[in-house]
Amino acid sequence: MADPWQDCMEIGISVARQAGEVILEALKNQISVMSKSSPVDLVTETDQKVESMIISSIREKFPTHSFIGEESVAAGAASILTDNPTWIIDPIDGTTNFVHRFPFVAVSIGFAVNKQIEFGIIYSCVEDKMYTGKKGKGAFCNGEQLKVSGQEDITKSLILTEVGYKKNPDIAKTMFSNMERLVCIPVHGLSGPDTIVGTAAVNMCLVATGGADAYYHIGIHCWDMAAGAVIVAEAGGVVMDTNGGPFDLMSRRLITASSKAVGERIAKEIQAFPCGRDDGKD
Amino acid sequence: MATSEDNEMYSKQWEGCMRIAVQTAQKAGEVIRDAFKHEKEVSTKSSPVDLVTETDRLVEDLIISSLREKYPSHRFIGEESSAAGEKCLLTDSPTWIIDPIDGTCNFVHSFPMVAVSIGFAVNKELEFGVIYHCLEENLYTARKGHGAFCNGTQLQVSKETDMSKALILTEIGAKRDPNTLKIFAGNMERLLKAQVHGIRVIGSATLALCQVASGAADAYYQFGLHCWDIAAAAVIIREAGGNVIDTSGGPLDLMSRRIVAAGTVEMAHYIAQEIQTITYERDDQNAN
Repeated sequence: MADPWQDCMEIGISVARQAGEVILEALKNQISVMSKSSPVDLVTETDQKVESMIISSIREKFPTHSFIGEESVAAGAASILTDNPTWIIDPIDGTTNFVHRFPFVAVSIGFAVNKQIEFGIIYSCVEDKMYTGKKGKGAFCNGEQLKVSGQEDITKSLILTEVGYKKNPDIAKTMFSNMERLVCIPVHGLSGPDTIVGTAAVNMCLVATGGADAYYHIGIHCWDMAAGAVIVAEAGGVVMDTNGGPFDLMSRRLITASSKAVGERIAKEIQAFPCGRDDGKD
Repeated sequence: MATSEDNEMYSKQWEGCMRIAVQTAQKAGEVIRDAFKHEKEVSTKSSPVDLVTETDRLVEDLIISSLREKYPSHRFIGEESSAAGEKCLLTDSPTWIIDPIDGTCNFVHSFPMVAVSIGFAVNKELEFGVIYHCLEENLYTARKGHGAFCNGTQLQVSKETDMSKALILTEIGAKRDPNTLKIFAGNMERLLKAQVHGIRVIGSATLALCQVASGAADAYYQFGLHCWDIAAAAVIIREAGGNVIDTSGGPLDLMSRRIVAAGTVEMAHYIAQEIQTITYERDDQNAN
């Protein structure tokens, strides 16, 4: 029997690549218009443009599918996941990096059916790295198969995370004490692109390649997690809730890790803080 | 009084050295790329997270022996030679200041941010710097008075003076005691409270400093880095139009184990003002 979602994934990859080209073009142009208007406005324009392009290209081929996209949600659309085939999209992951031309910017496209993530695509466009993962079929970067590090010893781990300041001093305190607790174990390093908006997609790909042993984040969104979660899982890694329980796409938090042992140890050390679920079911 | 002819000759001398430095860095990068995908034997130095591998030592030997062959009268300060007991003494002699693998922890994990750094000083003045990002094959170079480049494209720092629009890079350093971590986190918190765009830790001081030189980051600050991390990058940033200062706000002190670098002097001073000191022993502590 033919693989029902293979077609969708191929379309997804081609659309991600096109989106990457739009972003690279915007990066070039931005250099000359930076002084004219606020960088944030420019970026928002590109985010919206890229998301519309992605959704309309896919909708043309699959008119009955549903969509959850960062910019659509920002404009008021609901982010409820039904059983219907659903595309979960972050048009530009790493907005702050994009503004500064710091070279980690990605398009993230996840695809779920019956609330299960079937495949994920993350295109890190400045580096020209196309990461893909399909349930049961492995994870790849530019055709090369990915495998997590398999590291089980937390004291030999390189951990990535995000520390965004959400104008709430209690949240900042929790984020920093989480970092401190892990660094004190001691782990090999706590690193990573670290931003108020999030470069989650690239971080998760680095776990999938084995270049890092774990990534955890509290405050992330479903469109940042969907693709990365399946890519890490297909590379042999684990994806879980920050409390050690099963991963919940709408929960605003996750741990991805090279092994259950590392994942569970991180879950033990870190404290979550309330974020407001993406599906509003608090 | 030196004539312009004298200056030209003086300058040309170091041009030759820089060419050799570039070739050497690229050869070293090849060795590192080969070793990258394989299993690494890791030991530790000053702490359980201060890592070193066979490749670090091999590459440093390779670099020093290649350079010594061409310049037998020159002196060398290298990370691994230092670890083996050599003193970090900077004299007036032409001196090569080398980090064979910047980002050893990244190298151990195959996290793709690893560089070779070769700086060069004469009369205690930094003359040129070469930093080679081994995996991306990005070659950053600068010679005093001749600009800074990455793969032939000229580098220009950011002109940002507003902290609330800044992207800042930093590193944790080797100390992991609770007091150090408290100060480290406190520094990050203070900057985030000032509404900076973001703070990044990529695991390689020299590559982070190159991001400042290219304008992709607005500033870098760190406690705990070494003279062999600073030497090349300082020239590259200055030649790209940027500033490097001490964390106290005073002039850069190569052996002080600390730095603030930024596109603009305003940004450099804002950061110096915000950050609290983490003390590390000077690189030249035992050199006298």
